[in-house]
Order: sequence, then structure tokens, then C-alpha cells
Amino acid sequence: MNATASPPARKNAGQPPVLVYENVRKLYGDFVALKDVSLQVQKGEVMCLIGPSGSGKSTLLRCTNALETIDGGRVLLDGVPLPARESEVRKVRQRMGMVFQSFELFPHKSALDNVAMGPVTVLGMSQADARARARTLLDKVGLGDKAQNFPANLSGGQQQRVAIARALAMEPEVMLFDEPTSALDPETVGEVLNVMQKLAHEGMTMIVVTHEMSFARRVADWVVVFESGAIIEQGPPAQIFDAPTVTRTRDFLGHLGWNG
Amino acid sequence: MEFDFSPIADNWRFFAGGLGVTVALSIISAVTSILAGLFIALLRLYGPGWLRPVLVFYIDSMRAIPVLVVLVWIYFAVPLITGMSFPPFWAALLALTLHIAAYAAEVIRAGIESIRPGQTRAALALGMSRAQLLRKVLLPQATIRMLPAFGSILTIAIKDTAIATVIAVPELMHRAETVAGQSYRPVEVFTAVMLAYFCILFPVTRLVDRLYQRVAHMGRS
Amino acid sequence: MNFDWSVIWTHRSALLEGAALTVGLTVLTMLLAVPGGIVLALMRLSSNKLARSASLAFVEFFRNLPLILVIYWAFYVMPMAFNVQFSPITTALVALVLNVSAYNAETFRAGINSIRKGQMEAALAIGMSRRQAMFKVVIPQAARRILPVIASTWVSLFKDTSLVSVIAVGELAYTAMQIRAQTFRVLEMLTAMAALYWLMGYPQAKLVDWIHRKYGVKE
Repeated sequence: MNATASPPARKNAGQPPVLVYENVRKLYGDFVALKDVSLQVQKGEVMCLIGPSGSGKSTLLRCTNALETIDGGRVLLDGVPLPARESEVRKVRQRMGMVFQSFELFPHKSALDNVAMGPVTVLGMSQADARARARTLLDKVGLGDKAQNFPANLSGGQQQRVAIARALAMEPEVMLFDEPTSALDPETVGEVLNVMQKLAHEGMTMIVVTHEMSFARRVADWVVVFESGAIIEQGPPAQIFDAPTVTRTRDFLGHLGWNG
Repeated sequence: MEFDFSPIADNWRFFAGGLGVTVALSIISAVTSILAGLFIALLRLYGPGWLRPVLVFYIDSMRAIPVLVVLVWIYFAVPLITGMSFPPFWAALLALTLHIAAYAAEVIRAGIESIRPGQTRAALALGMSRAQLLRKVLLPQATIRMLPAFGSILTIAIKDTAIATVIAVPELMHRAETVAGQSYRPVEVFTAVMLAYFCILFPVTRLVDRLYQRVAHMGRS
Repeated sequence: MNFDWSVIWTHRSALLEGAALTVGLTVLTMLLAVPGGIVLALMRLSSNKLARSASLAFVEFFRNLPLILVIYWAFYVMPMAFNVQFSPITTALVALVLNVSAYNAETFRAGINSIRKGQMEAALAIGMSRRQAMFKVVIPQAARRILPVIASTWVSLFKDTSLVSVIAVGELAYTAMQIRAQTFRVLEMLTAMAALYWLMGYPQAKLVDWIHRKYGVKE
């Protein structure tokens, strides 16, 4: 069962939500990964999904851009349900950007060409225009001087920033982050979180699955707590981290050593 | 066009004998190849320095020369040099072992070298001798990793026994040729023998594939 | 026992022609078996159940048969099936191509599968179609892993061409054995045969080693 506490004022509450999840259900064989999850994401909102491993947060993210198919319920982008056919889903994916825990840069392309690849292959842009856009984005994430480097010659933090630029190159409406810093050395986590924070201040709608509680506390507009495939609590960071209403939330945070 | 499979049924004992020879030759040569390969690999890794290039030359030569060539050379040419002649079965066994052992030696060498150097350091730090290190730490680990490759060696041995037909070893392939020639029904005979070989080899390859999957799981350190 | 090694020199042109045919068969087989393997691999990876099963059956069948048997079988079955007399070379080529395509199919399939799922997902996430993702992201990376294996297959094929001598195709093994039968110079001809294979095969084996070193995957 989802927490049904009526949420306090949310960002851009007057406008229709960008993403709506209606009773989303996902099964892996007999295992129920998502149990009738319902959620709304507002425009320009930074939403952080937190919870123990295996609680369904990454699964929900991957259902958002149809990398996984759902077994029940609906996902709506700007009020329109995600199409079922692969050829139409592609168009929807172009409107969302995804950043993976393992970066997944294309190792056979330079940083510049990694970022340009989407516009060239998918949007049909010319190489020159795509590269120009790529250069701008690499500057934006602070890697303008690394444009010619190949992923093997970039640190983890640098690779992840290139990955963010690659997703931004498609000019998405929503950015999905799947544990973007979990695979990084502690020293490089900061550089990636800074880029994400900058993006948030520019008004990008972001859904972030993360274990970085201080980031969530500082940057999120809305925090959603998952456990065993369901939402047990959601609310502004102040509520979740300082005064959680649900005991299991308190337990989870206490487990992580979060002292509020 | 009508098919007549009766020659196969009529001669089933003849074929069964051939099958027996095939199985025996395959298993024995697989075993001798692996043992010889082990010997060669260990000599190469731990033996005297002057021996190394000799062994490498032998191994690389067997990669260049077809097994058929080795087979006829041992059966027809060796008697002319040494005066010693081999019956077909033993000539085939010798040739197959010579050829496959080179491959086995490489497999074993790679298997041993694939074990993390830390293992060697840990064992030596405990005071083990090199022989103990090899016997108790390296070979046991290497063997598990090499099991799929050993399975491959068995597959190769089974397929290579069919080549022994050219020196008249009475294995299955040779029996097939004999019956096909006598009965003038080559299509039926060879088709049946094809199925027979498939039924022998398919389980072995399947087993090897499964072993590879299991080992890949363990190879993740 | 006297040996007459000059017989090798006397018959050098025949031997060289045989060697040339060995090389020619290897090249021609590979030229056909590489596209053949690619087609089979793509069939195996496709979403069409029939294509998948057909490819699987073909590959499993030919991986599990001795090549010499396939050669004999092709020799007898092909004329009967197509009601046409085929030259031994054609038969040999068919048998070799069927055999090597099956091995190549496995190589290509394993190579493509070895590229992490995450790469395909990253490509899909920016909106590429599966086809674009395959050709622009997965296959370029898979090629690196596939090349060393194809090189090894090539050397095996080179040795396997000796087997077509059993259906009287005039490559090196057949030629050498014919000369042996005519001149009764057994040791000389068989040694010459081994030496010629060695001369051609040894550099190829070394080249394959180099390819494995250069393109080997460092995980």
C-alpha cells in the first residue's frame, strides 16, 4: 500500500505533472518487483528515490523509459501513456535522458563523439552541428579540454560527466539518474553531484535513484522512499530526513547512519 | 528415388565393432594427450632453459601440420627409418597423441598462468616448496578452469579418429566406407553414420558448453 | 635402405600447384564462410523463432560431425540430391563452407553477446533503434573480440583442407601422396609434404599469435 498522506505544496503544483505512474506493476517470474506503484513527478522537480537495494527504485526508473516493460498499470509522459511498440517508444526515449551507474560510454568513440552520437544517429544532425553542440555540453560539465579523450583515458567521474552530457545532447524533458555515483571513488563523487546540482538549478526535471543522502537532503524537492516494491513514504526532504512519519523510513535512514 | 537402409541393419555388428574402436581410440588418445600435454607444459614452465625453444617448436609445428600428415608419416615413413612398424591402431594413437598433446600443453600452460600471482606468493610465504605450490595450489585451481578445454580435447579426439580411416584403422568411419562400397548404398550408410557420430558428439559438446558457463562464473575473481 | 631426395625437386611444380590449391581452397572457403557465419549468427539472435531454431540446428549439426565424414557424405549425396555431377573441388568447397560457417556462427554470436547489455541499453536510452544500436555500438566492439578467433579458425581450416584429398581433390596432400604412389619414394614425399605444410602453416600460426596479442581482450 502506498502512503496516502496528502503532499504539501509541490513545485509547479499548478501545472500538470510531467510524469505520472498509475498502479505500475512489474514482475520477474514470480518475484513482484513493483507493487501497484503510483507517483507523480512535477515539472522542474528534482525527485530522489531512496530505499534499500532491491526495493524497486531502479526498476521503476527503467520502466519510465521502457527499458523494461511493465506488467500492469500505466506510465504517462505529459499525459500520454507510453506506447507499446518499440518503434514508437524510441521517440519517447528521445525526450528522456538516462545516466547509468556503470556510465556505459561507448569505448570505441571519443568523448566528443560519444556526446554527438545521439544527435547524429537519432536526430539526423550533421556531424559538424552535432559536434558543436557536444563541445558546448562538454564545456558545461567542465570537460571541454577532454573532448578528444577516449573513455579508457578518463577517470570514473569524468566518464560519468561525459555520460550526462551525452544524455543532455538529446535535449530531454526529463533526466533519469540510476545511482549515478555508486560506482565512483569518493573523491570524484563530488564533481558529478555538482553537475547534477547545476542542472537542477537550471530547472531540469530530474528523477534520481541514489544513496547519497546529503545530496538528496540538499538538492531534492521531493523524496520518495521505497521498500519491497512499494512506496512507504514520500514528501519534502525536510520531512523525510528530519521528521519521517513512517517507522520503516526511520529504520532505513538509521541503518545508513543518517543522524539528521 | 528410393532408399534402402538394410545394409546398416544387416551389418550392425560390424558397425558396433567400429564404434567400439572409435570410442576406445578417442578416450585413450584424449587421456594420453592430456597427460603428455601436462608433462610438456610443466617442462616448459619449470624445466631447463635450453629445452624451452625445442618444446615451443614442437607445439607450433603441430599447429601448422595437419593431423592427416602426421598420421601417414608415422604409419608409412617411420618404419622406413627405424625398421619398426606399428599396427594401424597404435600408429593412429601415437599420431593423435602427438598432435593433440601440443594443444593440450598450451591449454595447461595458459591455465596455470591464469592463476593470480598472489596465490603463488601466498603459498610461498607459508613456506611451501615449488612442488607443493604446484600440486596443492596451482594445479587444482587450473584443473577446474581447464575442464571445458579438456572436454574440447575429447571432442577433437573423437573427430580425429575418423581420419584414421586412411590407414585402415577399423573404426566407425572405415566400417562405413567398407559397407558403403560393398552395398552400393553410400547415401544411406553415410547418413546413418553421420547420425551416429552426431549422437556421440552432441552430448560431449553440450557438456563442454555447460562447463564453460560454470567455469566463467568461477573465473570472476 | 636408400633415399632419393631429388624426387622432391623433380616434382616441385606439381607440389607447388598442390600447395597453391590448398591456399586457394582456404581463401575461398573463408570468403564464403564469414558471410555465412554472420547470417547464421544474426538469424540466431533475431526475434523470429523459426530463424533462431533453423540456425541453431544447422550450427549444432555441423559442429558435431567429423569433417572427413561430411566430405564423404557431400560427395555421395550432392549428385543424388541435385541430379548433377559436381567436380570434386566443388564438393570439397561445399563441405568446407558448411563446416566452417557453423564454427564462425558461434564465434560471431559469442562475440556479439560478450558486449555488455549496458551498452545496448545506453544506445537505446538516447533513442537509437535496435538496429542502429547493433551496427553502431555493439558490432564495432564485437569485431575486436571476433578477429582473433576467426584468425585461429583460419589456421584450422588451412590444415583441414588436407582432408579433401580423400575425394581426389588435387591439393597438397593428395598431390604428395600421388607422387609417392608413382615413385615409391615414401619417406621423401611424406617428409616433403610435412615440410611444405610446416613452411606455410608456421608463419600463419605466428601471425595468429600476434593478432591474439594485439586484439586480445583485457578485462
